[in-house]
Formats: sequence, structure tokens, C-alpha cells
Amino acid sequence: MGHWEEREHTADALIAVWGADLADLFATAAEAMFALLEPWGGGEPLPPLRVALEASDVESLLVDWLNELLFRAETVPLRSFHAFRIHHIDGRRLEATARGRTVEGWRTYIKAATFHNLHVRCRAEGCEAEVTFDL
Amino acid sequence: MVTKRDFRRIDACLWELPADYDPRMRVPARLIADERLLEAALADEAIRQLINVAMLPGIVGQALAMPDIHQGYGFPIGGVAAFRLEGGIVSPGGVGYDINCGVRLLAGAMDAEALRPHLDELATALYANCPSGLGKKGLHPLSYRALNAVLEEGAEWALRHGLAERDDLLRTESGGRLPGARADAVPDRAKERGRPQLGSLGAGNHFLEVDVVERLFDAEVAGRFGLREGGVAVQIHCGSRGLGHEVCAQFIRRLQGLPQRYGFSIPDRELIAAPIESPEGRDYLAAMAAAANYAFANRQVLAHCVRRTFEQVLAGKVRRWELHQVYDVAHNIAKVERHTVGGRTMEVIVHRKGATRAFPPGHPDLPEAYRATGQPVLVPGSMGTASWVLVGTPRAMEVSFGSSCHGAGRTMSRRKAKRRMRGEQVRQALKREGIVVRAGSMRGLAEEAPAAYKAVDEVVEAVVRAGIARKVARLRPLAVIKG
Repeated sequence: MGHWEEREHTADALIAVWGADLADLFATAAEAMFALLEPWGGGEPLPPLRVALEASDVESLLVDWLNELLFRAETVPLRSFHAFRIHHIDGRRLEATARGRTVEGWRTYIKAATFHNLHVRCRAEGCEAEVTFDL
Repeated sequence: MVTKRDFRRIDACLWELPADYDPRMRVPARLIADERLLEAALADEAIRQLINVAMLPGIVGQALAMPDIHQGYGFPIGGVAAFRLEGGIVSPGGVGYDINCGVRLLAGAMDAEALRPHLDELATALYANCPSGLGKKGLHPLSYRALNAVLEEGAEWALRHGLAERDDLLRTESGGRLPGARADAVPDRAKERGRPQLGSLGAGNHFLEVDVVERLFDAEVAGRFGLREGGVAVQIHCGSRGLGHEVCAQFIRRLQGLPQRYGFSIPDRELIAAPIESPEGRDYLAAMAAAANYAFANRQVLAHCVRRTFEQVLAGKVRRWELHQVYDVAHNIAKVERHTVGGRTMEVIVHRKGATRAFPPGHPDLPEAYRATGQPVLVPGSMGTASWVLVGTPRAMEVSFGSSCHGAGRTMSRRKAKRRMRGEQVRQALKREGIVVRAGSMRGLAEEAPAAYKAVDEVVEAVVRAGIARKVARLRPLAVIKG
């Protein structure tokens, strides 16, 4: 099961994420991002969100995945997503779904997931990544 | 790990890390700071990030940091770097996600004391009228056609729609309209994000603040800026909202393959760049200028809202409640400017990420009103402390590509700030100082607590001692409005 922790960053937000495999890592990174946003106020459930992305490498794919979710969430009214299911991932292509609901607000505003010091590493025991978000 | 010993002291407030510190550095890295601020800068990754900037192709002179430097992503916040046009690069990460985040300063003839009895009502009305926080529409949702006009015309769009006075534009950096902006260079998704948000502050460290001009340091220049001791001033701090964020994100992604294609290397993928003369570089500059124009228009619409709110609350109760514009500066931007580097005058593209332009008296890019004084440099401090109005100097052209600091600079992470302080505590502490606060989020208030920032007076002292700006006036907050 994936887990994550927030690390010190003077102005923005830095997270370290671990997953049993790449799919788990991507799902956990998305959970971490929405935990940082701290959505509040329950709202209407939304139809399942479907995401399909292609990128040139796994780091770009991770940034695209997180920024895609941010874009879909920053509408009026604001949204929050959870229960991320990665149906296919091969390092350059991703297909996923998530459940969502409208919310009254987020306590933190994330402008974007960045490439700064970004790395994704996979070994036999699992995958890990560090992501910096611009707040 | 970089230490203080690696730096050479050039002047009381100017330090240099020589280019031979790392063989990949093309130029030295310089920091404007006193000894304490240098030590503060070494506490996080900011100097490492500055060293990375010094490695970028086409950089000239030195990679510079202002005393409010702190860790960012890619460039440090408080970073300034200039690249030659031929063989140089433009880096979206060197501008940041909030393209043309900046500050607008308005000032009025009324006494702050006359405002005092109406301050609560005014703060409540400003909070209600000027949208802040997340998930709220701006004051002027736009059709795609109108958005395209905003992107290409900037604050002039606001003038055409009765939301500005001609004098506002004359007292805005670049007249509130960057040349070369192309709406068609802005990705559709950025337009989708920006369309509903024009005329909104946003969240994070953005704010609207009512101040009193507490003290003048140069009465003559202050007079030219329309500032008088005991008078009222208003600061608006915000940028290009989701539109700018999306422009930056999309171009950072789009440019990722370029180092291989054009044969250069970068030390961090967030510093991705395009040769200035490449199609990708030209497209980014056109999109960045469009996002910057959106930000100029955004602050203009908010300024109009502030003026109407002053009228709504104060007309008939206080004399001379009108507000005129002092200046509007960008502090996240890349611009082509003329500078002298190594004795040679050349056109360069200056990236300022968390740094303010600080042009001296006589500079041809300054509006007529400020040609004799030099450019107003607006330095908002942390919430509840003080802000400064400075003026640019000739020394800034020699030392810092005509740039100065942009604020106090964070010193404590938001996470730590939230652990140490509760928003309500911060609000009460500000109340004891006589400062009225209207904030949508108590957590946000805790994140922006004054203790999370460097002392703005110390930062200003460093730029003044370095000679890159002079003090004109110190502002003290009366009311803070935040999302």
C-alpha cells in the first residue's frame, strides 16, 4: 500500500511518495496532492473522472497526471477527487479513473506540480518519487 | 554544500560565489545581502538553485539574488538573470507559474485618521466586493473574444471599458501592455482557466491592504509619487491567476525535449528553456506577454473595484476619498532591456522571478511623470508589519540589471507556520496592533503570519546599502484583505 510524507520547503510544498509499483505510486501521489489541498465542505458526487495521458517519460507522465487532476478540480464550484484507480500505466501512457465531488473550498491552493528535482525510481521493492508543488 | 566561506565579499552588502565554485557555472553567482541575510539564504536550497541558474546557456554578467531570496523551484525566489539575445535562452521556470505577479499601489489625499472610524466597514466592503480566495468568479467573466482582447491589450482593455483612467496606464510598468503578446500563443486550456477569473485576487500570499504612509524618507520624491505623511495608500498584490499558471505549466512540458534538439544542457528540468530566437522561444514569449497583460488588466479591474468601494463607504463622510495610482510593478517576468555587461551595452532578456525592476532617473523606459525621480519600487512586507516605497538608482543598472527586492521573503515553511500558529491567534495579534483583518481562511492567515517572513526593514536596508534603491516612504497596514 502506498504512503507519502510532506518534507520541509520554505515557500512551496515538497512530498515524498512510495508505492508498491508505478500504479500505486501514481495513485498515492494524487491522494497526497488532494490531502495538501485540504478540500472542505461536502457537495454533490460527480460522474467518474476518466483520464488518459501520454508523455515522453515517466516523470513527465507524473507531472501531467497531477496537473490534469488540478485542472479538472479547479472549476466553479471547486472539486475534489479520490479513489484513484490506475487501469494501465507503462511509464509513457496512463489510463485512470477517479471518483469526485464538488466541495466548498480548498484550504491550500496549489498552482502546479513542477519538474523541480523530480525523480521517479522503481526497484524490486517498489517505486518512489519526490514532487515539488508551487503554492 | 555551499557555505559562507565559499563567498567573497565585494561590498558591504554584495557577495560573490566565483564561477569556479562549480565547473558547470558559466558566470559567478552574486547575492545582495548583509551577513545575517546571507546566512539566512544558506539555510535552504536557494543558493543551490542560484548556482543552477548560473549554469544556463547564454547567461551574461552574473546570476543574481536579492536579499529576500528563498527556496523556490527551478530559479530561487528573488532571482535575477540576463541572457544575451543571440545564443541565449528564455526559461518559463525563470518567470514562474504566476506570470506578472506584481503589486499596484494607489494613494489618496485623505488622512488615515479620518478613515479610522470607517475602517471596519471599509474592510468588510472590500472583502465583499473584491473577490478573493478559491473557486470564486472574478468581477469580469469574459467571452473568448473579450479574453483575447485582454491578452493582447492588457490594461488598455480596461481603459476602453471604463475601468481605468488614462493616468493609471501611464503609471504602470510598460504602460500595462507588453508588446509582442499573441492570444493565439496562449493554450486553450489556459484560456479556459482565465476566462472566469478576471478581477480576482486569488489565494496564497495575495492580498489587498489599506495602509497609512507612516514616514517619508525623501519628501520631494514622495511628493512626485503622490504620497504624503499620514495619508492613505492601498496595495493590490496578485497576478495572472489560473491563466498564467497554465501557460507556464504547458510550456514547461512542451519544451522538455529542446535541450537535446538544440544541443544544450540544463541542471534541473524545471529550468527548461528555449533558444530566444527559436519558434518555441518566440511562442513562449508571446504567450508570457499575453499572460502578463492579463495580470495588468486583473490588477486594473481590482483597482477599479477598490475605488468604487471607497466611494460606496466614504463618499459624504470623508473629504477627498479618491485614490490615484502611484505605480504598478511586475515581479515575475522576462523582458528585453538594454544593459551594459563587461563594458559592452547590449540587449538582453532579463528574467525577474520575485524581483522588481528598479530603473534610475532618466531611463528612457520610464513614464514622463517619473523620468526625473526614477522608478517607484514597491516592496510589500509581511502581513501586519510594514511595506516600503523605494526608488531606482543608477547603481541598480551597474549591479543588478536594474532590479531590486520584491518583498520580505519567506523564512519558515507554511507547514511549520501552521504548526506554530493558529490563524485566530494571528488575527488577534494583528487586532492588538490596530490592524483589521478580513480573511477567508484562518489556515491561510497562519501560513502568512509575520513570523514566517524575514524582517522587511532588514531586507530594505540591504538593498539601500548596496545602492540599488533609495528609501522614499514606509507604509504601515491598517486593514488586510485576503482570500
